[in-house]
Parts: sequence; C-alpha cells; structure tokens
Amino acid sequence: MDPPSHLEPYPSPSHLTLATRTHTQPPFTISTRKLPILKAGPIDALAARVGIPIPEMIFGDNLVTVAHPSSGWSISFSAERALDTVDKTGEAGMLSVAYAREWSSSREKTSAGIKEVVRPFDWSYSASYRGDEVRAATAAAGPGAGKGLEKVGEGGNGIPLELLKRRDPILFADEVVLYESELDDNGISVMSVKVRVMEQRMLLLCRLFMRLDGVVVRVRDTRVYVDFDKQVVIREYTAREDVFENVKRNLYMSGLMPDAITIALRDSNQVANLLPVVENSLESVCLAPNP
Amino acid sequence: MSDLDRAIAQLRACRPIPEAEVRELCHKARELLIEEGNVVTVNAPVTICGDIHGQFHDLMELFRVGGDVPDTNYLFMGDFVDRGFYSLETFLLLLCLKVRYPDRMTLIRGNHESRQITTVYGFYDECLRKYGSANVWRYCCDVFDYLALGAIVLGASNTLPSASGQPVSPLSGDEVEIEVHNSDGQVISRFLRQQKDSGRINTTLPNGTAATLPNGLTTPPTTSSSSSPTAPPNLTGPPGSGASASSAGSLGNPAGAVLCVHGGLSPLIDKVDKIRLLDRKQEVPHEGAMCDLLWSDPDEIDGWGLSPRGAGFLFGADIVKVFNHRNDLSLIARAHQLVMEGFKEMFDASIVTVWSAPNYCYRCGNVAALLELSEDESGLGVLARSNGDVGRSDGGGGGAGVLGDLLGAGGRSGPARRYRVFQAAPQDSRGMPAKKPVADYFL
Repeated sequence: MDPPSHLEPYPSPSHLTLATRTHTQPPFTISTRKLPILKAGPIDALAARVGIPIPEMIFGDNLVTVAHPSSGWSISFSAERALDTVDKTGEAGMLSVAYAREWSSSREKTSAGIKEVVRPFDWSYSASYRGDEVRAATAAAGPGAGKGLEKVGEGGNGIPLELLKRRDPILFADEVVLYESELDDNGISVMSVKVRVMEQRMLLLCRLFMRLDGVVVRVRDTRVYVDFDKQVVIREYTAREDVFENVKRNLYMSGLMPDAITIALRDSNQVANLLPVVENSLESVCLAPNP
Repeated sequence: MSDLDRAIAQLRACRPIPEAEVRELCHKARELLIEEGNVVTVNAPVTICGDIHGQFHDLMELFRVGGDVPDTNYLFMGDFVDRGFYSLETFLLLLCLKVRYPDRMTLIRGNHESRQITTVYGFYDECLRKYGSANVWRYCCDVFDYLALGAIVLGASNTLPSASGQPVSPLSGDEVEIEVHNSDGQVISRFLRQQKDSGRINTTLPNGTAATLPNGLTTPPTTSSSSSPTAPPNLTGPPGSGASASSAGSLGNPAGAVLCVHGGLSPLIDKVDKIRLLDRKQEVPHEGAMCDLLWSDPDEIDGWGLSPRGAGFLFGADIVKVFNHRNDLSLIARAHQLVMEGFKEMFDASIVTVWSAPNYCYRCGNVAALLELSEDESGLGVLARSNGDVGRSDGGGGGAGVLGDLLGAGGRSGPARRYRVFQAAPQDSRGMPAKKPVADYFL
C-alpha cells in the first residue's frame, strides 16, 4: 500500500497507523504521528468539543507519545488537549491587536451600532499545555504501580542540560506541529513538539510561541526528559513573557540590525532566552521496578 | 520576442528579472492600473482564484489545471505574496501577464499587498535577499497601492457548458448548478439546482470511486439521475473532491452579478457603488471601508460583530443576503481564509471562499481550488430582472423557499459554478533540494 499522502480527506485508522513513526529505546517507546490539517467536518466537531473557534491550521490528527509500556505510564501531546487549556471565556483578560484603539476609535461615529464582540475567548491560543499523562497502571502489581509525575522539592534534580549538550548521536528525531494561527496577520501562535532520542536519554520540547505584533511575546515550554537507564522522567514547565517593545529592544541591544530583528522575531529560539520567566515548575517520576 | 515576453518566459522558469526591468514593469503596470476603477467590471467566462502566497510552483499547477493565459480569463483575489518562498517571481509573473494581456487578467488587492504586512511576513526579506536592496520591494508596494479593491463579474451563465473531454452528463446542463472537478478534469461530483424533486446526485470516476456531495436536502434524486450510478451517501470522497466541503445548491433563476473581493463586506458599504467612491491609492489603512473589504470575514452570526482581536468585522448570513439583494448580486466570491477543501460555500451559497494555495506553507496538506464561471449565451442571464422570480421554479415547496421567506423578495440565484480542485505541484518540480534532516540539538 502506498504511504499515506496528504490526499485522503479523512485518515482512516490504518492511515493513522501508517502516519505514525515509532522508535523503541528500551524500556521506552516514542511515537510521532503527522497528518494534514483537518477538514471542515472534523473542525466543526472539534470546535464543538473544545468550545472555542479552532485555529486555521489545525493538525488535529497529530500526536506525540512517550510511553513506558511495562508500567503502563505514558505522556502524550495532541492539539485537542492543548486547545482545551486555552481560556475559553476571555475572562482572564483578552489581548487586543496593536492597532485596536485606532481601529475602533475611527469607527465610533460610523459603525456605532456594532459593539458586540463575537465569542470572547483567548484568541491568541496561549495554551499552558504540559501534555497528558497516563499514570502507571495500578493493576500491574509491583512497586511501580500507579506511579506518576510528582512535584520535585527544593534542591531536587532538574533536567541535566550538560548531558543534553553533548553531541551524542541522535537515533530518532521529529518535529510535529499541533496547531498554528496567524492571528489574522497580527503575529503567530504555534504549538509544536520536537523530540530527539539518543542512546541513553531523550528530550521532548513542546513549545507554544505566541507573538502578537506590537503587543506581547510568549514562550511556554514543556520539556520532558527521560533517562532510559534509570527509567526516570523529568517534566519541566517554563512560561516566559515580555512586552513586544522590550523584546525588540533586547534584540537590538544584542547587536542585530533592524532587518535581522524582524527575522529574529519569527524564531522562537532567538527570542526565548530574552524573555523573563514568569512561571516554572518541575516534576519527576522514577518508573524503574526497583528504584 | 518582445522584452515583456522574454520577461514572462524568464519568470515562468522561476528566475527573477533584473531590477531595472522590474522598475519598468511596475511603472507600466501602474499606468495600466490607474485607469481601472476601484471595482473592475469583468465579463464571464472567468476563472476566479484565491490566495497564492508566493507558492510559485503551485501557481504553475493552477495554470495547468485552469488553462494558460491568455486562453483563460483570470481574476486573482489578492494575497499574491508572503509566506511562500517565491513571492517575488509569483507577483512579477502575474504583473507581467497583466501588462501583456490586460483584458485577460484581473488582479485585486489582498491584505498582504501592503507595506506593513509584507515587512512582517516575508516578501520584504525575499526582495532584500534576491536583490540586495529594498528597491524592488518598494516598486512592488507602489503597484499594490493601485490594485483594484474588487471586481464585478457580469454575464455569468446559470448553466454549465459541457467541459471538453467530459463524458456527456445524463442530466441536461441547466439542472447542474455546481460541478467539482479534480485536477485531471474529471468530474468528481455534481450538485443539482434545488428544485422540488432534485437533490444530490452521485457520479462515478473512471476508476470506480463514487463521490457524494451533500446539498442540504434530504429528498432523493428522482430526475434522470437514475441512469447515473448511485452510492450510499458518504463523506469520504476521493482526494480533493470537496466531499466534505460546505456546499449547497441555490434557487434556479437567471444569474445575477458576482462580486469578488479579498476579505468581505463593510458596514460602511451598502451599495457596490460606494466602493467606487473610495480613494484607494494608498497603503491599506486601519480605518474605513477599504480596510474592511480586505480584512473582514463571514461568520455564523446574526448581523455584524466585532472580532475578539479588537479589530476587524465579522458578518452573518443576513448581511450577505441583504447586500446581494440590494445590489442584484447572485454571489460574493472572496478569499482570505484557508479552507482545507479549497472552497467553501456559506449562507445558502450566497458567498464562497476560494483558496488557491495547496499545501499552504508547504505543510498544511490542504487542496486548493479555482472557480470557473461560464459565459451566458442565452441573452438572458444577468440582464433579466429577478423581481418576483424567486421560488418560481421550486413550486413553492421544500426548503427552497427559505431565501424568499428571509428576505421577502430574495436575492439572485447562484451562477453555475465549476470548481477545479488541485493539489500542490510535485516536489521534484520545485527545484528545491529535498529537506535534509539536520541534527537539531535543541534544548
């Protein structure tokens, strides 16, 4: 059978399987699934389930999973669950585009009758998504039963960056976009998952990059680190944010010319470290039968 | 071979032309465009296209599917540039064709044809990279300011002529309102005009794949479609069939005019003639009707609404129907929003979104579409008044009276529409090196 192409209007279960790449690095398996954006029907169904309008580029069939089959533990990342963490009412304070004031003031006289905001919600799709964890099965007898990620106390181990900086050969790597919105040409909001697997360890990065031009830049990262040998999983969530002008100034201070700044502002890697951390949390779990 | 033809040949090969030639081309284009009104009048037959976004090779595919210029009369609804890798070649080729065949090529402005937007979304960088200076970008932006804001298509037929090479339909042409073709010209599906007894019909491709399209009616076909193979309704049509596209037939009536605009309507514009009064020769402003025409979106709401983004209007079915009725329009064709199926008809087929960038941003996996309106040869069509005609053909029964109920008088019925759905050009035609995986030691 042909490999799944982007031609099929609806991926069947067999296509979902065919579109899935799986890598086993005992005792873990890592899988990624990539398919085209959803069609009108599934988009409507998804919007009904999630309760907000869906971003125009919605990769609703995409999925990234890291699993520990022997215990039943897993963590996965999907667009639907990510969108479920978006503020659905706009009560948390809605952003406005940079020229909103100018736009509306120029219309006060002429379009005064039109005041109703259609479906207020966080249209910037600033999800605070950490993935969906399935805890180790309680049915499976043994010391690992029912284990899941727990908050790491003060002084606990974080993700060992030094080990990850080593150029160990990458055995499996992928990048999977979950959703993307162009915010009506006011910037970008993209949620994507990158994964790289080395012999002894792996790193997954699920990143929301949201840039509202002239207003704000957000990077919300969920990192999942796995030590295959120790069977330890660490999850770190870091939210960073700054107003747009500060980011621009910091890029300028780092020596970039104006044209290069425009380009840098499209690249989350170039701006992430310039943004102050506004939230951070660390969790871990050891899935080894006899820790 | 003239300089212009040479430039066209070079651009068709996806090679940029020298800066001096761009300057001259833009100068000529501006002289041409300045003579056009804000709303260009175009006579059917015409092929209407949506966003291209610098996907040059897919534009070549579009020309292959829709026919080459000047054999086919084209109307592009803006957003030629940004996001794709070849905004420059795309826009310059379209502009060359416009200058070379001014009556066969209509270009209207999209919200991306603006200085501010192209600076953020790629066209500016591309010009800088390909020419080493922003001059070419400036020449192009000067042309953007002169692009028309909309177009009115006159003389569209409400019957579909048989496409060459097609097996003869078992139905007489005037019963088919919508036909969807794949990129090889095969009919994947047909919609009948909403009449008392007609509904969905199924067609079968030579390879035996059955396609079914919903049309919003539940009545089974009782016309001569019994001679065409039928299949149980299902939404899993063949690639790009639009089998899940939102599409519905409309009332059978002579076709009114079709308004083409990039975004949508404006609360400041109740008559098409008001668009003609705008001063368009400027950067797209944040205020006023010009901005709305390029930015607004239809939505499932009543009346007008404000986008939660704090800028931008949304408009509902009632707005479109009243506007169409008041302006004697049968349809609004617009672009601006990505639709996976390439086209999406809304509000009882009173407005359609056409999207012509397949596999958008080289990763969405969507199909694209173009919309063909054929020429009315009956001498009726757009010239016939519609007053009192609405509902006549449906005998007053079925759901076909909804339009009349809503409006009292009703708008024009839709012209016959042929959508050609196509996919992205094959990877190897792009001349791009296949993406080689680079070890990304992200942290």
